[in-house]
Amino acid sequence: GNHWKPERHPSSVLCMDVGFSMSNSAPGEEPPFELAKKVIQKFVQRQVFAETKDELALVLFGTDSTKNSLDQDGQYQNITVHRNLMIPDFELLEEIEHQVHPESHQADWLDALVVCMDLLQTETKGKKCDRLNISLLTDLNTRASSEQIDVIIENLKQAGITLQFFLPFPVEDDEESGRDADRGSPGHPGMGKGLSEEQKSSVDIVKHIMLNLDEENGLDEIYSFRNAIEQLCMFKRIERRPMAWPCQLTIGSCLPIRIVGYKAVTEEKLKKSWTTVDAQSNKKDDVKRETVYCLDDDNETEVEKDDTIQGFRYGSDIVPFSKVDQEQMKYKHDGKCFAVLGFAKQHTVLYFYFMGTQVIKVFSGKDDEHAGVALSALIRALDELNMVAIVRYAYDRRSNPQVGAAFPCIKKDHECLIYVQLPFMEDLRQFTFPSLENNKKFTPSDTQLSAVDSLIDSMMLLEEDDNGDQKDMFKVHHIPNPAFQRHFQCLHHRAVSPSTPLPPMEPWLKAALECPDVIAERCQGPLEEVKRKFPLTEVEKKKKLKTSAQIFGKDSGEPDAKMAKGDEEEDYNLADIAEGSVTSVGSVDPMLEQLLSNKNTAYFMKSITCIQAFREQSVKLGDANLYNGYLQSLKTSIPNRGLEVFWDLLVQGMISFFTAGFLKIIFPLR
Amino acid sequence: VSCCCCCCVLLTAPGAAQMAEWNAYYRNEDDEEEQEEGEQSGGDYKITGRDSLVFLVDASKEMFIKGEDGQPSNFDMTMQVVRSVYASKIISSHRDLMALVFYGTEQSKDPSKSFKHVYVYHDLDEPGAKRVQEVDALRGGKGAQLAAETMGSGETSLGDALWCCANLYSDIKLRLSHKRLMIFTCRDKPHEGDSVKDRQARTKSGDLKETGVIIDLMHLMKPDGFDVAPFFRDIISPPEDESELGLQLEPCDKLEDLQKRVRAKEQKKRAQARLHLCLGEGINVAVGIYATAVTARKPAPIRLYRETNEPVRSKTRTFHTQTGSLLLPSEIKKSQVYGKKQIVMEKDEVDAIKKFEDPGMFLIGFKPMERLKRHHHIRPAAFIYPEEDEVKGSACLFSALLTKCHERNVFALCRCVSRRNYPPRFVALVPQKEEVDEGKVQISPSGDTLLGSTKEPNGKIQVDKMKEIVSKLRFKYRSDAFENPVIQQQYRNLEALALDMMAPEDTEDLIMPKVDQMDQRLGPLVQEFKDLVYPADYNPEGKPAAKRKTGGAEKKPKVEVPEDELRAHVQNGTLGKLTVPVLKEACKKFGVHTTGTKKQELIDALVDQLGQ
Repeated sequence: GNHWKPERHPSSVLCMDVGFSMSNSAPGEEPPFELAKKVIQKFVQRQVFAETKDELALVLFGTDSTKNSLDQDGQYQNITVHRNLMIPDFELLEEIEHQVHPESHQADWLDALVVCMDLLQTETKGKKCDRLNISLLTDLNTRASSEQIDVIIENLKQAGITLQFFLPFPVEDDEESGRDADRGSPGHPGMGKGLSEEQKSSVDIVKHIMLNLDEENGLDEIYSFRNAIEQLCMFKRIERRPMAWPCQLTIGSCLPIRIVGYKAVTEEKLKKSWTTVDAQSNKKDDVKRETVYCLDDDNETEVEKDDTIQGFRYGSDIVPFSKVDQEQMKYKHDGKCFAVLGFAKQHTVLYFYFMGTQVIKVFSGKDDEHAGVALSALIRALDELNMVAIVRYAYDRRSNPQVGAAFPCIKKDHECLIYVQLPFMEDLRQFTFPSLENNKKFTPSDTQLSAVDSLIDSMMLLEEDDNGDQKDMFKVHHIPNPAFQRHFQCLHHRAVSPSTPLPPMEPWLKAALECPDVIAERCQGPLEEVKRKFPLTEVEKKKKLKTSAQIFGKDSGEPDAKMAKGDEEEDYNLADIAEGSVTSVGSVDPMLEQLLSNKNTAYFMKSITCIQAFREQSVKLGDANLYNGYLQSLKTSIPNRGLEVFWDLLVQGMISFFTAGFLKIIFPLR
Repeated sequence: VSCCCCCCVLLTAPGAAQMAEWNAYYRNEDDEEEQEEGEQSGGDYKITGRDSLVFLVDASKEMFIKGEDGQPSNFDMTMQVVRSVYASKIISSHRDLMALVFYGTEQSKDPSKSFKHVYVYHDLDEPGAKRVQEVDALRGGKGAQLAAETMGSGETSLGDALWCCANLYSDIKLRLSHKRLMIFTCRDKPHEGDSVKDRQARTKSGDLKETGVIIDLMHLMKPDGFDVAPFFRDIISPPEDESELGLQLEPCDKLEDLQKRVRAKEQKKRAQARLHLCLGEGINVAVGIYATAVTARKPAPIRLYRETNEPVRSKTRTFHTQTGSLLLPSEIKKSQVYGKKQIVMEKDEVDAIKKFEDPGMFLIGFKPMERLKRHHHIRPAAFIYPEEDEVKGSACLFSALLTKCHERNVFALCRCVSRRNYPPRFVALVPQKEEVDEGKVQISPSGDTLLGSTKEPNGKIQVDKMKEIVSKLRFKYRSDAFENPVIQQQYRNLEALALDMMAPEDTEDLIMPKVDQMDQRLGPLVQEFKDLVYPADYNPEGKPAAKRKTGGAEKKPKVEVPEDELRAHVQNGTLGKLTVPVLKEACKKFGVHTTGTKKQELIDALVDQLGQ
């Protein structure tokens, strides 16, 4: 559907068949039970991390025992409501992992469906009418009593419950399966020797139900276990409802148009941040962070927070400026607005002017056809004239106003303005680059150009298929944010298996970030040609001065071999440190002690540089004891010498050291 | 932006959220700022040293000659530029050092008292409010008078002036990363053919250049033209771009031009990152990434000691609540709670999961330009430019890539890891023409023919009327036309306080629509358009009449929830259904202490307390 429409949060029931036939499988194939379990695991994982408020229930059927509210007079047997409607959590994941096993009975899947419907209806009674869904995972290998099927369909329709089926085999449209008979079903894994009688009749019932619920697309909601696993592999992005921002677009003082804005694209941030806990107790209450203030004198005299006031720098001046005064004198504006400042040619607003981290789509006000006509006239006028509206935009009174451009966007099914923030004068960094085109030294020859040409040919990600339709082989926006995927993968692993090391990246994620195989293969030739035609030589740096930043920028686990090489002299030169370049450390202690006697941040930075070099040197010599020993003694002397600040600087992420971690990292290099 | 021949990088994260929550963005602006700062401003800036800039301004009589039609004198123009650079440095990079030195003066003033006819108005230091005021004093007619009184015009020795500047540099004990000196003059033969003085000036400029100072000439208009060749060619630093041949530049006669030229030179190009653009196995092009626009923010406050107004330093310590001892990294871990589950990791594990690969850009393929959608923008673009010093041959391959991408109207799609331990993003390398040529812009065909019917059938009359409105309000967009009123106000306030002014100078809010002018220009068009689209009884400013009420009066949020209900929510993990105010109230009620204000943090705190 249209993605800017808010999605309602559904309540759903996962209804899984654990009966004995689910454990049957053709040799070499995973039994349907295992596949179905994977599907629900992935599904629940996704829900847990998405932190949706969607509630989820789990119903198992084919269980040895019976636990459901319809259990009466020997009806609805072997169906267990494992969990009522609740927000899914890790407990549920663990239960699925450890408590959901194949069992030895069978139950009618239609009975199970009725139990699920009853559960949904009783547990959502009196609540806002959310979307209700039942996902049934079964091999359909039980005889289903179809007498009541029309009653069931009627009930589903009335309650507005949607259905999804997950089966071990694909189910095709009758017409389609006729067409594709040759490469049809028997070869599909999960089919074994073909369907049993029970399965065949069940499939007919399933189709009957699905087509009755949705004539058009009903069959699209029948999935096979395999493609469900593939699709669910990607943790769904954390759900956020689009929020409407109603406002008026104004042109001058007398032409308002009612609009509503939606954030179209914004960079997503993880909702949760890490909290610091004590390593032993895992409690955050055991860790306290405290900020103290001190004067910049020799004694670092501490002062109370209450004895400090707020100030600002105005160039070299320091201006006391209290919060109250600041609030009173600050820039104030009238709040929410989307006011046109004027119109400009589209080509004067270039890509590299785009600021901010979001795009806003602006539509006409809800249920207001007149606003629709007015806004549409504006969008079309802009489009036909190739112009944009330059607007002042303010989200509300508390937020800072922006200047931005509203571009017309006309699509088949909708039209809107697309708002992007533009820079203020203060934001601009103006600089020129030497021209590449006019520089003879860098002008590529014709053969070089044609090499690049064929490289582009071979690496075009857009292909036309036989029907002339364009196919995008690398849809960036379909790839889930890899950082989130990895983050959740690791969190999940740690939650379920706390004592084991983190797993490697999942292969599908790695592959998703790479160039598609077809392209990678096809571009080999052209790449070789480019390599031949364009000689590239790394410029040998004389003795590159390293600043501490560069040194610390290095991954502490991989000391740069080049850096230590060639520095045979072992003596340590203070001038070198002063230059910010430390490449070798001989007798480190006296130097460091000397540096540390100046309690000044600048010297501290040098000391840290020095310690870093010491570390590098230790790596080179393969002897961590010297280094670790020194740091150990340094640490114990910290309180006596009032070097807490230095220690803080040191430990705050600058150096990893003398813990087991350090040794682990260092010694494999030898 | 003077345009250049390079690529524009558009950074897009895969899976960027569609339609995210407004509040999430606005409430967390602070967190976001920190992150962005870290990413955008470039880590090396703070550590490598200060930038410095010396304005060396000719104060001879010729500089004070007023232009035709009351145009400001060259001196006046120069002071305006100096003032604006001071003011902008205070905002954008207050730690840069600047100096203002006059030569060809009658009076002399320099710290060493050894030069004649050189007047050090400001030595190298961070600009402050006082300095801005002092430069202001030199502007306009009054300024010329003040200059005549304090400095006067006299003999010229550029050699002495340069020597004096060299001393200014050597007096600075701080590490300077970028040293620039700009000469403002309208005299191409300052020594009137005195070859001794010419030679001395050349020697001194050579000395300066040797210590890494870049000398620029901001030559100003004079009646018979400015010839750079005979004297200044040997004084200034060779242009970094050999094709540019800066010598051929026309002298500036407009303030705007001068301002632009100074601005372009005044900031050092700083690569945010230097990376390899990897086309394939073993084909690595060295490139630098440059931001053209970085959001300027209000400065962060600093804490001062109440008694003396001196800045205090803050120290943050992490210690164990019970034992009170400082905690080492190995003694703390990181934790997150999902559902009711606490997940704990070592700090280095938290870092490790962020790492995918080493920094670099990896070519994935090419796509036609029309595949790049404006609405995919999620962060400011940047330029990339080859770094020939790192990998020889980079510029040539880069140039070829650029030419071909441009010719074929495609962009290159790359995976980019901009820094260590940053997750990969996808970036589009968009070829950027050297100049945007207004003449070549296509006149677009009428949109109607291409598009199918849309949801709002719209008559041609309405569109045409709107076209008239649009045309009436047409203006030329310039990226530097709008000042940020929030930042300007903050600095006006600080300036007023720093200078003991009665009230801050008025700032004009440039992003406020000039409603009166607009109305006047539009005249009857607005009413005509409204007649076409709005019925007589329609009030576009009110709420639409057709809005359906959903069941009676709007419910006020019920702030309190009974205890057992709350416990049930905790039990069932359904706390998320409650609103933030309700959760806050619940926290208060049960004495749950939480520093968080985010919903999840409140929930976690409540679960911690009540779940046990």
